[in-house]
Amino acid sequence: MEMNFFWVQVRDLTIASLKSRYRKTFAGFIWVVLNPLLMFGVQSLVFKKFLNLNVPDYYLFLLSGLLPWIFFSQTIQMATPTFVTQAQLLRSFKINPLVILASQVADNFMNFLITFLLILLPFYIESGREIWPLFLLPLALIPLLLGTLGLSISLSTFNVFFRDTNFVMGFIFSLLFFLTPIFYPADYVPEQFRFLIYVNPAVYLLEPFRDLIYNETHKFFISLAKGTGVSLLFCLMALYVWKRKINDFYRKL
Amino acid sequence: MTSTGSSDVLLTVKNISVHFELEHYHLQGLRDIFVQAITHPVEYLLRTPELLKVLDGVSFELKKGMRLGILGINGSGKTTLCRCLAGMMRPQMGVIQTSAEVRAIFDTGTGIMPELTGRENAYLLGRLFFPEVRDLKPLVDEAIEFSELGHFIDVPFKQYSKGMQSRLMLSLISARSTDILILDEVFDGADVFFQQKLAIRMKNFIQAAGATVFVSHSADQVREVCEQVLVLNKGKIGFMGGVEEGIAYYLNSQPK
Repeated sequence: MEMNFFWVQVRDLTIASLKSRYRKTFAGFIWVVLNPLLMFGVQSLVFKKFLNLNVPDYYLFLLSGLLPWIFFSQTIQMATPTFVTQAQLLRSFKINPLVILASQVADNFMNFLITFLLILLPFYIESGREIWPLFLLPLALIPLLLGTLGLSISLSTFNVFFRDTNFVMGFIFSLLFFLTPIFYPADYVPEQFRFLIYVNPAVYLLEPFRDLIYNETHKFFISLAKGTGVSLLFCLMALYVWKRKINDFYRKL
Repeated sequence: MTSTGSSDVLLTVKNISVHFELEHYHLQGLRDIFVQAITHPVEYLLRTPELLKVLDGVSFELKKGMRLGILGINGSGKTTLCRCLAGMMRPQMGVIQTSAEVRAIFDTGTGIMPELTGRENAYLLGRLFFPEVRDLKPLVDEAIEFSELGHFIDVPFKQYSKGMQSRLMLSLISARSTDILILDEVFDGADVFFQQKLAIRMKNFIQAAGATVFVSHSADQVREVCEQVLVLNKGKIGFMGGVEEGIAYYLNSQPK
């Protein structure tokens, strides 16, 4: 019952924030598509045309890593300051703060779905791949969604105590972008540096999506299992941080 | 001990304590901690957080029909107690037992999405505040009409004055009664013209609630609303009993 209330609240809040973004102009919507499209355009120009990376179907390869990455990094950087910017509201009423956070993640997820349909899907169909793996897509999105939600909860709580968390995360994400196999395949990484891939939690959240869209499907179920495990760990960590810090949370807010 | 006797109790507070951790060093951010950890590693690792006791062994019962005023100077733990009663905070020791529906209001001059209109904000707040209501329309419509905001209701919330904001929010949250109502210094925002009309509605709202916890600095407001008073003094219950004795106790205990 309580859980049901939670999701109804998340739904209404998400609709409202989508409305508020697209209220006045079409610009909000255009930006949602234009931003990843430009990133995709510049990166494919640099890595395919300038550096001549020899990866078959490079456009599809790049998109299958870049779009989930944009969702992951942008959601976390948008969600991290949420509790602080909504401090007045959270102090004013008995409202579950996690509702507001979950709706931020859902809001970004809608944008991700739009970019998936408008940018990735045409390339997928154009590549002549089989259609049936697309039906497994909801499974591939579980680790991405859960992992992003869990990390967002931990980091936005953290940000209440250390107000520069978002600044530090921006820096970390700019490093992580290069250490995550997004525009290059993981097999390109020399053996002695492979550990950098294995210790990077972002890899586990992104990999199932790429395996399903780009690589062979038999790899998908292994990466899905790993990714789900890692994302559940993030959720457990979030739950622990949240339960432990809730009192100080309201004091510091 | 009879069953009727125990069913009169809406909420039981048993010996609750809340403490916060105060950092020795005033570290503002992660970068400060990083620098501190590098430049003074030993001090950083050996630091022990100082504990600040905000509530210290508080016990009482909230019975049906009770209107309890909470008095205390700033920092005596009033808001922390209210947040615990509302289930927003969890006491480190002791328990709060209740099966009642608790609504708590700490401030009213705030919307959810300032770019959206007052009406849209009212719906959103309605959804967050009354999750059990399926069809919000009649409730929100009534509140909007009561608030007398007229055509302003479809203007973005961010253009409202502080008074208009709390007028709308108070109209909305008083639109539906609840088992336990917690009001923590909420009557300061609404403008004077609206104050009287709103006061009647709020009084009815408080009457309709199963029990009310009312925090205010104003002795007059406490006299008007409450029939029992709890005075908090440094996290402990200094006094609990009749209104006039409570107010007298509170005024005497204040530092001169």
